[in-house]
Amino acid sequence: MSQFALFGNPNTGKTSLFNNLTGSYEYVGNWSGVTVEKKVGKLRHHNGQLIDLPGVYSLNPLSKDEEVVTEFLLTDEFEKILNIVDASQLKRNLQLTIQLLEFGKPLLIGLNMIDVAKTRGMSIDEKKLSEMLGVSIVPIIARSGKGCDVLSKELTINTNKEIKPSKLKIDYGFLEDAIERIIKLLPDHISMNKRWMAIQFLEGNKRVEGYIYSLKIDETSLEQIKKDVEGNLVNRGVKSSIRQYIYNVRDQKISSILKEVTDVASLKKQNATELIDRIVTNRFLGIPIFLLFMYVMFMLTFDWLGSPLADLLDGFLSGPVTDILQSVLTAIGASSFIKALILEGIVAGVGGVLVFVPQIFIMFFLISFLEDSGYMARVAMVMDRVMESIGLNGKSFIPMIIGFGCNVPGIMAARTIEQPKERLLTILLTPLMSCSARLPVYALFVGAFFLKHQALVVLSLYVLGIVVALVVARIFSSLFFKGESSLFVIELPPYRIPQALTLWRSTWEKGKGFIRKAGTFIFGGSVLIWLMAYAGPHGMNVEMDDSFLAMVGGLLAPVLSPLGFGTWQAGASLLTGFLAKEVVVATMNIIYHVPDTTSLQGILSNHYNALSAFSFMAFVLLYVPCLATVATIRKETGSTKWTYFSIIYSLLVAYLIAIVIYQIGGLFL
Amino acid sequence: MNLTDLKQGTIATVFDLTKVSELVKQRLIDMGLFEGQEVCMKCTMPFGGPVMVEVCGQCISLRRREAASIGVK
Repeated sequence: MSQFALFGNPNTGKTSLFNNLTGSYEYVGNWSGVTVEKKVGKLRHHNGQLIDLPGVYSLNPLSKDEEVVTEFLLTDEFEKILNIVDASQLKRNLQLTIQLLEFGKPLLIGLNMIDVAKTRGMSIDEKKLSEMLGVSIVPIIARSGKGCDVLSKELTINTNKEIKPSKLKIDYGFLEDAIERIIKLLPDHISMNKRWMAIQFLEGNKRVEGYIYSLKIDETSLEQIKKDVEGNLVNRGVKSSIRQYIYNVRDQKISSILKEVTDVASLKKQNATELIDRIVTNRFLGIPIFLLFMYVMFMLTFDWLGSPLADLLDGFLSGPVTDILQSVLTAIGASSFIKALILEGIVAGVGGVLVFVPQIFIMFFLISFLEDSGYMARVAMVMDRVMESIGLNGKSFIPMIIGFGCNVPGIMAARTIEQPKERLLTILLTPLMSCSARLPVYALFVGAFFLKHQALVVLSLYVLGIVVALVVARIFSSLFFKGESSLFVIELPPYRIPQALTLWRSTWEKGKGFIRKAGTFIFGGSVLIWLMAYAGPHGMNVEMDDSFLAMVGGLLAPVLSPLGFGTWQAGASLLTGFLAKEVVVATMNIIYHVPDTTSLQGILSNHYNALSAFSFMAFVLLYVPCLATVATIRKETGSTKWTYFSIIYSLLVAYLIAIVIYQIGGLFL
Repeated sequence: MNLTDLKQGTIATVFDLTKVSELVKQRLIDMGLFEGQEVCMKCTMPFGGPVMVEVCGQCISLRRREAASIGVK
């Protein structure tokens, strides 16, 4: 099947276009070696696959996810390039287009946001632009899907025929000589465009450089060519680097093209964005407004919308579903062992977690909304000063917010951070953000002990996570990363009302994982826990207190007792909670052998008081990242040392905080 | 004069990026802020926080320290 690759600058509507062109994901996986998401979609109505690539400004990578794009060009097979270009930012966007044209593969441009350009008083002669660039251009409005059919058709025709690469060739002046010399050094067998490679090499593209060196070419003569060029630049009185020189040559070319194809009537302001920015990025209101947003988001998830839905689902699972299962099991004559396993193990365990699906989806939906609206970048700006003081930058705040949904994508989002030190630190801190999997634990305890102040208590846990993260960041950055510089430059896209399709897709993509987890980890965990509670050293169907589970949990009990919850039940559920934090609730449902959340809460009040419940929740919040998060940390940091470190430090922090809460709190209560 | 000297809402032309650190400079150029471009100061965050500028209809935020090393006139 033909494969097409989607390239474009960040914030150009790439995701909207991808969602409009493709009906379903063929698969969502990872690029080899890095956990940057690789999305491949099947084209609607046409035969072919579209590969989504991270947004980049140029092919010369500065951060981890940008590297993926260059890597893709160097190693993957595909037929055509689909380049999405923001019509309202043509000058900047064409920098990438030129580099892609130099790559020499057939290319098609989707000229997006022609409507935005028009409202800004800019009209573009697409035909002429198409002629001058030597490629087809299809005007589109990716958000509404206008023009996407034409684009799709244009993309899939002529795939088999040889298409002439664009005749546009930029003359780099005195660099041409050096380009020729490099091309001569490159071996004949490489299939890639040699001119492209030579230019990228001169620009200082590290990935291309690595590729060329791997071809066993004399490095010294290549380096010599580069030095010659640098010397030449100095002789000519040019102050800039080769990279910048090349950029300027391209910019001149682009400007001369744009002069002929665009007509700027009057530069009108983007009123809405400016107006919103005047409020949300206001010197003094910025942070309070952000906190207000978080509060609303949190109340919607937890209180206003999420709780009633979760209660409905709880009633449904513990009522009709259990009854039906029970009568089916009786009808088919299942043994009492199987009956107990299914009803007391699986239904109690998995059901106890599935109940939280509505809340988790609401959370993911709101986070997707923030991501797509353009507000996230403002949050990064507003929070930068605070983050700078603890050795991070504002961009680190975005992974943390995403981490409220799930730590795994949060940690992955850290790849947009350019400085390795800040990226590592962000990865280490993100697990302290209270993800939605911890919500079931809070919901359970808060419902039992803090009926009057439910939302407030849960909010305090979220805040606790953030505060601990900030303090830990300060300590780590002064301990491990002394004197490394910090960097913060971010683009602030215009505000957009997120599209329903895009929102739904990203909510579903994130939420799906949670449901899958219920079917795998939590299912398996529930069976295992139930069996361990069912069997003991003295045989099967023993009293729970004589079971294997009680034995294992009992080992931990003395350690946990200064924290206020020194029972084998707490030990056992915390131990299993490493699989996924929701399993803590699943385990408790099984251990206390109750049909629904309400009766579990009743039983819990015999084992905990308000203080130890809070201490337990704080411990669950902070202690070890879950299994999936640990795996992601391992992948993203590429270091076993830092992975172990993240587990150990969070255990210590959790223990410390819980003991402080319980012991000091005990003095006052 | 450098970028931070601009009052909110005023426009100037960038003429010197040489004092900016390499990585930041690269990012700024990628985003369209380079010598010869017009910038408009949009706002500054309190307590020495970042500034927000507009270049070619595009808003960019950068730290005040870096903004102070960008020469404008």
